[in-house]
Amino acid sequence: MSRSIRASRLGLYAGVALLAVLAVLAAFGPDLTGHDPLFVDLAGRFAAPFGSEHLLGTDQLGRDLLARVLRGLRWSLGVALCATLLAFAIGTTLGLVAARSRSLAGRIIRQVTAFAQSFPVFVLAVSLIAIVGNGFGALVTILGLVTWPVFCRVVQAEAASLLTREYVLAARMLQMSTLRLYTRHVLPGILASLSVLVPFHFADMLIAESALSFLGIGAPLGIATWGNMLQESRSYLVTAPWLMLVPAVAIISLVFAANLFGDGLRRRLGVST
Amino acid sequence: MKIKAFLGFSWLRDLAVLLFGTTTVLFFLLRLAGDPAIVIAGQDASDAQLAEVRAQYGLDRPLPLQYFAYLGRLLRLDLGNSLADGTPALEKVLAAYPASLLLGALAMALALVLAVPSGTWLAARPAGAGQRVARWIIFMLQGTPGFVLALLLVQVFAIKLAWLPAIGFGDARSWVLPTLSVASFLVPKLTRMVEANVGAELQASYVRTARAIGATEREVLLRHVLPNALLGLIALVGAQLAFIVTGLVIIETLFAWPGIGWLLVQSTMNLDFPVVQAITLVIVATVFVINTIAELLQRRFDPRVRQATARGVA
Repeated sequence: MSRSIRASRLGLYAGVALLAVLAVLAAFGPDLTGHDPLFVDLAGRFAAPFGSEHLLGTDQLGRDLLARVLRGLRWSLGVALCATLLAFAIGTTLGLVAARSRSLAGRIIRQVTAFAQSFPVFVLAVSLIAIVGNGFGALVTILGLVTWPVFCRVVQAEAASLLTREYVLAARMLQMSTLRLYTRHVLPGILASLSVLVPFHFADMLIAESALSFLGIGAPLGIATWGNMLQESRSYLVTAPWLMLVPAVAIISLVFAANLFGDGLRRRLGVST
Repeated sequence: MKIKAFLGFSWLRDLAVLLFGTTTVLFFLLRLAGDPAIVIAGQDASDAQLAEVRAQYGLDRPLPLQYFAYLGRLLRLDLGNSLADGTPALEKVLAAYPASLLLGALAMALALVLAVPSGTWLAARPAGAGQRVARWIIFMLQGTPGFVLALLLVQVFAIKLAWLPAIGFGDARSWVLPTLSVASFLVPKLTRMVEANVGAELQASYVRTARAIGATEREVLLRHVLPNALLGLIALVGAQLAFIVTGLVIIETLFAWPGIGWLLVQSTMNLDFPVVQAITLVIVATVFVINTIAELLQRRFDPRVRQATARGVA
């Protein structure tokens, strides 16, 4: 038992440390490499990693891969974080509404949430891109709008059960205002399960964004993102496999860090999902 | 609700509500996002073309009238024509449908073949050394995006070893890599679900009884636990559908597999909105029908679910 607690704490700290390092890299990294991620140097194409002044080598246009992968990190963190926050905000609000309301709005929210559980929302994201377009704001909005039911489902279920507890009934009888009731008694009670969802959702958003960019419909072409880099690397899998491996390792490690953090947090808070 | 009633019309009504909701959302989003005539006719349409589209789709009329006209066209299954070649959008989507169905079914079958034994093995001895290692591998695989894994598979099997074609839709050899790739979207999650199901059944009292009357661990697992755990799996197959469809969109594009996932991405890139809309509706309908069938099967085979429904829980 103590061994598993220690292991989970280790995972939690390792996840936090890894995420912190990546956040610092995203903030300052692109300026520290000394290379412009978009600078084309046709004379220095396909430089292998660790061989020259380019630490991770260069791509088919001679652009520095380290600078590009760091710029991509900034983009990925930004999109995934904002999309997660948007989904969190919408899902929590609607979940609180649906937990209590027997109105039509509550019924519709519950129905949508139940259906979204088995619906491939990625498809919805793609078709919304056909309508709204792509770019940072569009991606954040679309990803947030199609994934809020993840938060809504948990909030609604937990809040509904909390609302039947005696201390909540007592508070209601004492004429406590709804706002105060929610902020003092309901939200603190669901915070644990809610916060555990965040890192896992962040990881999902990260994968979804890079998948969309990889398909050529996410990030605008030309800017350095991991999905775009992987897409461009496909033509050079034989001659320059590092073009694929560098962004691939970057995505896997960021997702891994988020999962590690989420898993540690889940065990620490004793949430079973 | 009796099974007969279930087989009747209530699920058709749900499907109708669902399709109605989806199309309504798409309709209003398209109007909110800007000039729908540009979306429908394409970015580089001339003013004359735009005017023609506006007249054809009645975009110059008031919004409620437009909406009812739109619903009327939907009822006649008229989803508009593809902007790329002018063929009816729905026809185009249905032509690409079988290829996706084939890939999805193959991937699902492969995922089950891989996940059921390994999940059972993990649950049978939760603390074993091999199981610990396997659990770490699954954790890593869960963090690896499917398309990255697919790229690695192409790198190894199609390029380094040159055993299999890297792209296209031809003989059975060209099916291997796409199937493996789509299955990789499912296997980690499915394995953990099987593990959880089998683990939960192992706690049941009938397992203790079986052990007490002298059944071997193997018999307990194969004859008593697995059938019960697999019943729960039917419901999970429905839940896995979302992952399969996501996998299909990405993997079909990567391998140029001519299914609806590939068509969806192509049409999105070309801003071919009628086809995008038709694909969305076809996928909504498919997901709904398969989920309904899974639910039906579960009712048919699992008396616990039947009784819960009879008591009015579900």
